[in-house]
Amino acid sequence: MRTELFIIAVLLTWALPAAAQLRVQGGNVTISITAGIPGPIPPSATVSTTGLRWRQETVDTKITISTICPGQKFTLRAVATGITGGGTPAPEVTLQEGMPATDFIVDIPPRKPNNGRCTVQYTAVATFEQGNSLELGDDLHTITYTLVAQ
Amino acid sequence: MKLQANLFSSASAFLAISILCPSRALAQTFDADAHTVQVSVLPISVVSLSSGTVNLDMSLGLITPGQDQMTVTDQSTTLTWGTNSSASKITASTSLAAPLFDLRIVAVNPTQGAASPEFSLTTTAQDLLLNLGRSSGSCLLHYTGVALASQGSGSDLHVITFTVQAQ
Repeated sequence: MRTELFIIAVLLTWALPAAAQLRVQGGNVTISITAGIPGPIPPSATVSTTGLRWRQETVDTKITISTICPGQKFTLRAVATGITGGGTPAPEVTLQEGMPATDFIVDIPPRKPNNGRCTVQYTAVATFEQGNSLELGDDLHTITYTLVAQ
Repeated sequence: MKLQANLFSSASAFLAISILCPSRALAQTFDADAHTVQVSVLPISVVSLSSGTVNLDMSLGLITPGQDQMTVTDQSTTLTWGTNSSASKITASTSLAAPLFDLRIVAVNPTQGAASPEFSLTTTAQDLLLNLGRSSGSCLLHYTGVALASQGSGSDLHVITFTVQAQ
């Protein structure tokens, strides 16, 4: 009996990672800020070509976001829109080099094996004072989304 | 016998943790994925004016007996700019190649950079503001129309162009 329980436990431990999935869809993204207007509103550009797809688990989960961007010069924000399968978008996240993983979608209900989806809206903002890429170079973010138990 | 008891105890503990807390043990992270986002900012320089028209009217009230030169001024227009290039200036020029009267301009109270001394507008662009750097700012435009009574009457129509350019 003890031997059987041990085998079950091992199977559970190995099965869960295989069942859990989170995928970024749409590939890498380039956002170009090309125009602005004089005044208090800084130049910006928005792109919504990225999607997230995840498998709902047996427990409440959430998705966090983090970035690695050495020498970051410009502002980049992200927010989840059009969530299907349950879950609540967190307020728009400002992505900064060195930031801890921050809530992106919370309260994803346990409805395994259903899938959830959303669109990621990125907004890049560069004030006039922050300069341009010709003089300073581009920002390159490696953005990681993580599906974790809530 | 004692050794067997210890092993049993260890196995029991392992089973209890594995079965009762499988999700917590992975909390934890179920999965992760990443991609790259590249942010590119082009050089952007923009300028705008608060008003499209300025009228300088030399009326009879401006004439002083015994004095040939008359002047009239206007400071009702605000110039606003934004530039993300490190070395920028703003120039001004007029479309009118042969004006009857002299029209002068100077930037007043710029929030960034330094104003050039007052100058007469010509078709050649002249520096109005220098050393703007990467900035967003504004200034007032102070126009002065100068006419001589001896020149008689008439009117000039200037289309004045302000340009942000590399310094």
